[in-house]
Amino acid sequence: MNDIDTEHPLDLESKRVSVKEPEKRYDMQGEMPDDKRVQTAMRGFVRDFGYIAATYMESCIHCGACAHACHFHEASGDPRHTPIWKLEPFKQAYKREAGPLAFFYKALNLKHKVTVEELQEWQELIYDTCTMCGRCTLICPMSIDIATLVGMARHGMFQAGLVPHELWAVAERAEREGSPLGATPKVFEDRIEWMGDEHEVEMHVNEDKADVLVTMSSIEIQKYPESMAAMAKVLNHMGLSWTFRTDGYEATNFGMLSGNSAWQKDMSMKMINAAIDCGAKLLILPECGHAYGALRWSGANMYGKPLPFEVKHISEFLAEGLQSGQIKVNRVERSVTYHDPCQVSRRGGATEAPRVVLDALGADLHEMEGAGLMNWCCGGGGGVLTIHRADDLRHKMFRIKMDQVEATGAEELLTACSNCRQNFDDNQEYHHWDKTAHSLLDLVADNLAE
Amino acid sequence: MAKDHDKEQTLGEALRQQGVSRRGFLKFCAATASLMAMPPSMVPAIAKALDKARRPSVIYLSFQECTGCAESLTRSHSPTLESLMFNAISLDYQETLQAAAGTAAETALHDAMKENHGKYLVLVDGSIPLKDDGVYSTIAGKTNLQILKEAAEGAAAVVAVGTCSSFGGIPKANPNPTGAVSVSELMKSGHIATKPLINVSGCPPIPVVITGVLAHYLTFGEVPALDVHGRPKAFFGETIHDRCYRRPFYDQGKFAKTFDDEGARSGWCLYELGCKGPTTYNACATTKWNGGVSFPVESGHGCLGCSEPNFWDKGSFYAPLSTGHWGTAEGIAAAAAAGAAIGIGAAAMSRRHQDTIAKEE
Amino acid sequence: MDLLTFARGPALQWSVAIFFLGVLWRLFGVFLLRRKKDYSRPRSTHLWRGAIKGLIVHLWPYKEFRPKVVQNYILGYIFHIGLAIVVFFFVPHILFIKNIIGVGWGGLPNTFIYITGAVTVAALVAMLVKRISNPVTRLLSNFDDYFSWFVTIAPVVTGLMAVAHFGARYEHLLAIHILSFELLLVWFPFSKLMHTFFFVVSRGTTGALFERRGTSA
Repeated sequence: MNDIDTEHPLDLESKRVSVKEPEKRYDMQGEMPDDKRVQTAMRGFVRDFGYIAATYMESCIHCGACAHACHFHEASGDPRHTPIWKLEPFKQAYKREAGPLAFFYKALNLKHKVTVEELQEWQELIYDTCTMCGRCTLICPMSIDIATLVGMARHGMFQAGLVPHELWAVAERAEREGSPLGATPKVFEDRIEWMGDEHEVEMHVNEDKADVLVTMSSIEIQKYPESMAAMAKVLNHMGLSWTFRTDGYEATNFGMLSGNSAWQKDMSMKMINAAIDCGAKLLILPECGHAYGALRWSGANMYGKPLPFEVKHISEFLAEGLQSGQIKVNRVERSVTYHDPCQVSRRGGATEAPRVVLDALGADLHEMEGAGLMNWCCGGGGGVLTIHRADDLRHKMFRIKMDQVEATGAEELLTACSNCRQNFDDNQEYHHWDKTAHSLLDLVADNLAE
Repeated sequence: MAKDHDKEQTLGEALRQQGVSRRGFLKFCAATASLMAMPPSMVPAIAKALDKARRPSVIYLSFQECTGCAESLTRSHSPTLESLMFNAISLDYQETLQAAAGTAAETALHDAMKENHGKYLVLVDGSIPLKDDGVYSTIAGKTNLQILKEAAEGAAAVVAVGTCSSFGGIPKANPNPTGAVSVSELMKSGHIATKPLINVSGCPPIPVVITGVLAHYLTFGEVPALDVHGRPKAFFGETIHDRCYRRPFYDQGKFAKTFDDEGARSGWCLYELGCKGPTTYNACATTKWNGGVSFPVESGHGCLGCSEPNFWDKGSFYAPLSTGHWGTAEGIAAAAAAGAAIGIGAAAMSRRHQDTIAKEE
Repeated sequence: MDLLTFARGPALQWSVAIFFLGVLWRLFGVFLLRRKKDYSRPRSTHLWRGAIKGLIVHLWPYKEFRPKVVQNYILGYIFHIGLAIVVFFFVPHILFIKNIIGVGWGGLPNTFIYITGAVTVAALVAMLVKRISNPVTRLLSNFDDYFSWFVTIAPVVTGLMAVAHFGARYEHLLAIHILSFELLLVWFPFSKLMHTFFFVVSRGTTGALFERRGTSA
């Protein structure tokens, strides 16, 4: 058993699965003298600047509008939670090291050298209070893609050993044993079998050849295993040739979330190789948010060339199946509302799909104000949900979501991201709310017309 | 010129001798007062002072000049004021007007200076060349500088008539081959004695401006209120632009674009045709020329700014005041190319830096 | 050399040269950095359409954001448009530009320009007050923000002062006005004022990204 298992044990019982709340936090990894740590972070930052990131760094006019799109800032009122401020050390690295005026900045010390204390202070801003939801980009008059830049900043932070305790621990697990939450290939297989039995559905595991490769997120495997059954039900209903693969199943990418590019690649390549190996034409991503961004939009770049198969989020897959008639469903006469997972909708572009699904189900959809592109983040993505230190603000900002949902008057709240779901579950408990988010996939699977 | 006994005459006596009535004399005083922007209550004081004033000795020295200033003064169309002044003073030396020539003229000059030492007025027109020991303008074997130095020694005050003596004028224009300087520069550098100095600039100055200044000096025995350039505020306190009768057109945005277009013929503002009115201080727009007949703008040509220092070196007379008077497009292109080069270099260095970091990983 | 001749002469030459040098330096220095190829399958290949949409959509804030940001947008437009009117429609300015590029155009009456200038100054002052009093912008703001504000408002204020003959002789006020513009030119390439150029690329890039991903924006 690895030290990590004893030092950072998992807590799979609480409403949100993560590492157990640590008695002592280890928010700095590795033994490094302070100036080396700073230097490593700066070099990590500088490495990433292409002309697009550089343009964004040059374009900010300090208008402060981004603060008003960010749920963390709106909940805390703390100006430090202004999105662009989260990038301040990153911007300093750019100006001093990579920008066209770097010579002036260094020679005249126009932006002071970042200190290790500042980097530690910024760890909270880059990890705890940013879900990379991208809402700030919509309000920014210069359209600066702050979410992507925060993701880039995390690279330097990881290299300098400045990742929050829990996030680092789950990422390390994921790289080492294939899942951040203990859903190793063995556990995965066991639970597939369990779900197959319990829901009386035929499971396909480790087929040599299949048209469709199905991936899952550890959150579902560990906490919402019925999703695996739901997947199987739908695909069997469609009569498609599909498989789970124990050599490539984990759709979450904690390499990406913690900022380790090498691990991000490893994690993506597992699924890519599995898909290629079984000759899949389609890889389905489960109800997970960042998994979509990781594979649909970044996967090919990890691979180094276009992927030889299509990638779809389960919600897109369901929408297409319903539209083409391959999936037939019974009607559900229920008033519902839908929470758009940021990484699938705003950042991923698959906004329409769930509406198509709900429409086919005949659900009475009451859209939230700002539904779709403008939707408020649930507050748990980007790794935030794993960090105990971040709980207070995450609970505080959740009021925005509760108000949004209550205003619709709908009976049921649906979504297509299991991380959002566990955030809703956790907040339901904390706020004693009467609602939580349910799975869109489950709703379809439960109402298939035979 | 004037006879000895005439010097004992008061100004009032001299005028009466010439048949100027009391009424005419008072009219002259009133005109002087209003020219100097003084209230009518000053008229009796002026009259009293002038009446008793001694006819002062005036020495008019001409250096690198075109004689336009003297011409302006003497060819005026309103004889009353100007000729009155000339008759009221004892003009003891003036090369254009005097009958004497050669050594006789020089003797008259030195006699006048000796007899009236400390009390005579020196009027100067033309700039003074300094280059090559001042050989570019000499009279009777003496350089202009030497002449002026001597004359300033015993002067009560000096009046620089015209832009050349006030500021250097046309001879001073780039490249200033003769090393021309103004009277005030000579005083500042110590080449000549420092005396009360009035600059009456203009190329040439308006006749009544000169006579008004002289009248003031005779009346009050002191130099009038001067602006930063040593010019009497009464005449040089406002810009042409601020007193121009075409100002409403400037404000409305109506400008003549050529000298004979619709706008020009409608009397619109001449800013686009290079009028320097906004930065030129003079009395042209109010007092006008030729006895109040007209002034350049009224005749359809923009102000050249001739009463300002270096007006010849401030760019084209026909380029609007708001245009740059500047260098070359090639210089700008060179700067742009340099910028692009530096930028390319910076990007290259940044990329190399990134490669180094990547290699170390 | 008197101040006005200096301002219209060598100062202008140098400041324009530095402006061009700096702008090209900064633009080349940024746009020649690495570009990363994106191998993911795009939802749309009409990236230019997305870029243009990105440029246009941000001319006005989305409905959900308006309560919090529309005031800033309005003030921002007032002073940008006010500046544009004063710079491009005051006849002496038009003649200055015509002298450089060879083309001029009709101007507006001076009174209209003066009023616009005054409104522009008021808007700029209001923006400074907001910047200082808002905790977010107070945290974000640095020397660049304040000095850029100063070099933007200085030409308008000194221009109005020159017109009003307020505070010094006209030719000095005019010289100071021209020098203040030259200060703006010299500061421009090294400051946030470069957003003039960068906004096109940053908005366009994000717009293209959204188009590529099919984000409905």
